[in-house]
Parts: sequence; C-alpha cells; structure tokens
Amino acid sequence: MKQSILISGSGGQGVLSAGMLLAQSAADSGKYASFLPEYGPEQRGGSAKCTVLTSDKEIISPLPKKCMYWICMNEQSFKKFGTQLKEGGVLVYNSNRVTSPITRTDITAIPVPSDQLADQLGNPKAANIILIGALLAARKAIVDPEHFLKSLEEKFASKSDEIRELNAKAFKIGGDIGKDYAE
Amino acid sequence: MAKEYKKIYSRPYAIMPVMSGYCPGCLHSLATKIIAEAVEELGQQENAMHILPVGCSALGLLYWRGDMVGAAHGRAPAVATGIKRCCPDRLVFAYQGDGDLAAIGLAEIISAANRGENFTVIFANNSTYGMTGGQMAPTTLIGQKSTTTSEGRRVEDAGYPIKMAEIIAQLEAPAYVARFALNTPKGVNEARKGIKKAFRMQLEGKGFTFIELLTNCPTNWGMSPLKSLQYMTENTMKYFVPGVYKDVEVGA
Amino acid sequence: MAKVLMKGCEAVAEAAVRAGCRFFAGYPITPQNEIPEYLSRRLPEVGGVFIQGESEVASVNMVYGAATMGVRAMTSSSGPGISLKAEGISYLASCKLPALIVNVSRGGPGLGSIQPAQSDYLQATKALGHGGFRVMVFAPYTLQEAVDLTYQAFDYAERDRNPVFLLMDGCLGAIMELVELPEMKEPSDENTKKWNLRKRPDEKRPARALTPIYPEIILEMENKTRGELYKKWEREDVKVEEFMIDDAEYVVVAYGIAARVAKEAVITLREQGYKIGMIRPITLYPFPKQSFHKLNYDKVKAIIDIELTIPAQMRDDIALEVMGRAPIFEYGRSGGNLLDDDGTYDAIMKVIKEVG
Repeated sequence: MKQSILISGSGGQGVLSAGMLLAQSAADSGKYASFLPEYGPEQRGGSAKCTVLTSDKEIISPLPKKCMYWICMNEQSFKKFGTQLKEGGVLVYNSNRVTSPITRTDITAIPVPSDQLADQLGNPKAANIILIGALLAARKAIVDPEHFLKSLEEKFASKSDEIRELNAKAFKIGGDIGKDYAE
Repeated sequence: MAKEYKKIYSRPYAIMPVMSGYCPGCLHSLATKIIAEAVEELGQQENAMHILPVGCSALGLLYWRGDMVGAAHGRAPAVATGIKRCCPDRLVFAYQGDGDLAAIGLAEIISAANRGENFTVIFANNSTYGMTGGQMAPTTLIGQKSTTTSEGRRVEDAGYPIKMAEIIAQLEAPAYVARFALNTPKGVNEARKGIKKAFRMQLEGKGFTFIELLTNCPTNWGMSPLKSLQYMTENTMKYFVPGVYKDVEVGA
Repeated sequence: MAKVLMKGCEAVAEAAVRAGCRFFAGYPITPQNEIPEYLSRRLPEVGGVFIQGESEVASVNMVYGAATMGVRAMTSSSGPGISLKAEGISYLASCKLPALIVNVSRGGPGLGSIQPAQSDYLQATKALGHGGFRVMVFAPYTLQEAVDLTYQAFDYAERDRNPVFLLMDGCLGAIMELVELPEMKEPSDENTKKWNLRKRPDEKRPARALTPIYPEIILEMENKTRGELYKKWEREDVKVEEFMIDDAEYVVVAYGIAARVAKEAVITLREQGYKIGMIRPITLYPFPKQSFHKLNYDKVKAIIDIELTIPAQMRDDIALEVMGRAPIFEYGRSGGNLLDDDGTYDAIMKVIKEVG
C-alpha cells in the first residue's frame, strides 16, 4: 500500500536529510520510494518541507494532496501545513518547538521532546532521527524499523563509531516513545 | 631565360583563387591575406580553424580555404571556446568586427579573455557597421558621421569609442594584446608579425591572444580609398593608438 | 543493474554521460542547478569538459562549438534561460548540429516563479528560436523515462543532425526516485565523422565549413529537407502512451508530471466504474496525432486537457486533431502551485457530471 509522509520544519533541522533517509531505507528494503523536496528562494533559515512516498507497487502520482503521516519539527510549519494531514493520520511532532495546542481529534498525535532528547544525547542534529524512530515504531508499514536502522548504518558507514552509535541510540529513544502508539 | 625567374610572391594557400567581393579599397581582404600568410608561415594550413563572424567579414566563407565555423553575432569567442576545449591541438582563431566584438559580444570576448582561453581573436576595427549600411559602431569616433549619427557621434548620448585592446590588456589572463593599423605598408608588416606571434604563442599553449586591426570602410565613410587611409592616420590612430599592450614574453 | 535512488536532475546528467556526452556548458538558474553541479564533478572524471559560461547565450554557443567537433554536447536551463538560448538553438538547427538541450521548467512568464510549472510547452513545440525550425521535444513523466529518453536523445540528434529538447519541470528535476541507469557508452564520432570538423593529427581531408548562413537557393532546399524530416518524425518517431482509451467515454490528455497526477485519478475512476482513459504524449513534437484519430467519437463525451500551467497550452494541438468531434475541457494549476491527486480527481469528476 502507498504510504505518504510529510516532513516539515525549518532549514537546518535536517528535514530533507530525514526524508532522503526514509526514502533510501524504503528503497533498500525492496519497496518503491519517492522523495520530493519543496524548495524556496532562501538558502538558510527558511521553511523546509518534503514528501516521501513508499509503496509495494510503482508510484504513479508523487503529489498527494494530503499525507497519512506528518513529522513536524517546528511551530511555524505546524501552523502552515495543518490541513495536509489526512483524517485518521499520525502526527509526530517536536514538542519542544510546536507550542500550539493539538486541536484535531481525528488524528493520532505523538509528542516527542526531540530537541531535549537530542541534547541529552549530546548532538542536537539527532532530533530528526529520534522523530523518525517514533514514527516507524508506531507504523511499521512505512518501512520496517530494522531496515531503516540498516540503511542508517550504511549511510554513515564512513563516519566514526561514535556517530553511528549515536544514531542508533537516537532511533531507539524515538522508538521507545512511538511503540506505545503502535497499531 | 624563364628558369632564371625566381618566385617571390604567391597567393597564400589558405586563400581561394577567386575574386574578392569586398568593396574597392576595403582592408578586409588585406587582413585576410596576412592572416593566411601567418598560418602558412607556421605550417598550419591543415590545422587552422577559422571562426567566422557576422557582417562583412563573414564573406571569408567564400575566400578562405580551410575548416570554418560560422558563429552568431558576438558569439565567436564562445564558439571558439567550445571548439578549442574539445580539440586543443587545433590552431583556432576568430575574426570579429567592432559591432560584433565591442557591442553585442562584449560578455563573450571579456569572459573568454578572462578565462585565458588558448585561442586567438583578431578584431577588425573600422569604426562602423559595414554590412548593415554604416550605422554607428561602439568604435565610431567622436564627431564621425554614420547613418544613425547623421551629425556625427555625440558624447552626450553615445558616449565614447571603446578601446578594446586597452580593456583586454587590463585582464590578468591574456598573453598577448596588440593593436596594428593596416593603412601603411609598415603597419601591415607589423600586423603580420603580430598575428604570427599570437598564433605561435597559441600553439605553445600560452593562452589568450588578441590582435586589434585598425581598418577602413571607404564605402560607408563616404571617402575614396586613399582618403580613408589618410583619415585613419589623422583621426583613428590618434584615438586608437597602435602598439603592444600586453606581452607575457616581454619582461616576464 | 540494480536500481538506485536518484534526484531527477542528477539522473538526467548521469544518463547523458553514459550516452557519451562529454561537453556541458551552462549558467546557474533554479530549478536545474543540480545538472551543472553534478556534471562539474562528473565530466572531468571521464575526460569531458564542463564550462560555467558567462550567460545562457554564451553557453549554448559553446555547445555549438563543441558539436562542430563531433563531441556529444548538452546544455540545460529553465524558462528564462531557454529564452536566452533561443538564438543559439536556432543556429544549431541552421548549422545542422546535434545537441541536447534540457529545460527544467518553472512558472512563467518573465522571472515568474522558481517553483515547478509546465509553462514552456508552446515555446518548446512551436518556436524554440527564430526561423521556423522544429526540434524533437521529449517529455518524460518518471525519472526512469527521463533517463531512457536522455540516453536516446543524442542518437536522434545525430541521426537527424538537429538539436533535441528534453522538457521536464521543476518537480521532476527535484524528485528522487528509483532508476536503472543504462550502461556506459564509449564516446564516438562515428555518426558525425562525415561532416564534423574533428581532425586526427596526421589526417588530410578537404576543408569543411559549418555555417548558419546559406545562399538563397540552398537555404530553400535545406528548408524543404527540414519539412520532410518533420513529416518523417510524425510517421516514425511519435512516442505516446495510450492508457485505457479503447472504450473511453472520457479521455484525459496530459504529459510529464501532470500525467502522473492525472493517471492516478484515471485509475481511481476506472476502479469506480467510469470509462475513462488517457493519452500521454511522450514526444510533444512530433505530437501523437494518430492517438486522437483512434478514439471512437460516438462514445467520447469529453476530452480533458490537464497541464501544470494556466491557460492550457497543449489544448490547441489537441483541438486540431479532435476537430470538434468532442468538447475539450482544461484543468491546471499555475504560478508554481502544484497539481495534486484530490484536486485533479475532483476536476475530472466535475467534467463527468457536466457532460453526463
């Protein structure tokens, strides 16, 4: 089945790299995948957004109006893209930055203090991995968490052991939060 | 008796044995000839690649014997760049007029010179757009009449004639930049030597070489050929002063 | 060969290299910058030449120069830059030089928008420059198709001695998808050696000239030959996808990214029992005229032209073939706003309800 994931935040938060990782891991696991970044005139500090689709069948349209899942990393994009999450969808959000109340009752909202958790891990850049960890633990159909971990490992194969361990830890911390929301 | 005659002059191989269609007294044909002689003296007849411009000098297509590529107005240095980068061993030269090089093609000539592209540009400066009928060129002298400056070029609305050799010589990359006037035998001899030197430097991989040739246009200037040569001495050469403006082989 | 996840612009660039392209000149413009950026790294690895030109005008003329030497050469840009390249493209056609020109199009007219749009259909298919020449226009709808068409483009360009145009949009340029890359071809001037100006060091041959100017009588002859070539394209080189049109009452027409969105809607509507199909031109020029003459107009109730531009640009070409036999509707988004699945479905549904 076609799975659609929207990832939003501000430039520099790792929105696009999270999307690319997700698409790559889906591809590595034998699925079809597409990744579409939305680009703006700003090089830095502007909003960042991407859409990832994964499917067992070939992907025809890469432009869904609404997505089934949404990883939201900041308040600004939360306000902007609120209507792009489908009814019955899952929102995984950075509760350190998204401060507006979650008013929609037709979705599952998973708050993750990802900035704080990443800081505790010692690398604020790991926040995006924590959020992906939470989403995949809640909805395995997107990409099997084991597959994602393997792709993550391959992607950072040339980096230090420290960084790779940090990534794995970040993914697990997110997963511990997300698994409580598993279907 | 006949065998005692010595051949002291012949048409250069690179010039086709046909009549020139240039206007009487026009120096384009002389310029073409000295380029052909320089090519021949360096033994490059088979290797030369002539980039033809737009305007009167495009007529070279009918007179030149050797590989040729026609370029759009002003774009000869860009075309030459593509050619030379793909075939670095060829002797590549572009022949451009003043409207071509100093107006519509300014970006191309400055950029090619600034990249230090290893080819030669020969710039024929006759202060007018010849083929289109004598409009003001970027090099038309102050006060000089043209079909678009019937009272003579005015600084107030047309600015000053542009000195290309001086401008190109300001750039870091060019290897040899010189200006010659073709209105006297002495000037022609110097120009022939200058062109040959530029070609030699190109073959040695020394980088961008630029030769400005001051020429005439008796037809559009409305003068007899002889008068046009005098005009050049009295006016053109006072503003566009002949000389070597850059030479990396001197004082290097 | 295994499939790899690649970005559209980079996939096209890599496919060009694998097709033997060894020369690129271009100028920065969004959303095609990944093509020059990729080739600036990739071409030197294979002994090719990359030049960042001083303008689009200069860049296309550098490609012109490289093409005279029998080197497979390309340039890329987006709408505003393609307008600047118009001069050079006309000269390429005049001089009968092969080259690949890629347009990753964006919103227009003018500077328009840097966001994706299909706003250059008319420019690409009717007049890429002055003088009344045509070029083959390929419009891929997936990255795999973009890769395959890029790979073939140079063969067509050399066969016809005419530039080939690849029309993508910013969305296909930026998207990442799985592609299977074709095998690496060795560069060769085999197809062009009869006329190119390349010369081996000790080779002697009569001098050759390649020029964009002709005596009147020859120019007329050349233009007649061009006319014949364009007719031959229509007979032999049309590429089109006809999707469920045999019994169709509603026929969607779309190309490129718009066809992806439209096809999703067509599939959904078929599942719901509607007799709907789609004609997807892959060559925008030559236009797939025959596909429209195959339709059973006793049954066809509506033709729906869906494009990522407003007003629709392909509509005139469709109308010429439909010849009043069915009403034509159009739906699109413009200005850099994207089409989406639901909006497109709703737009088709509205037409279905309207015509019954």
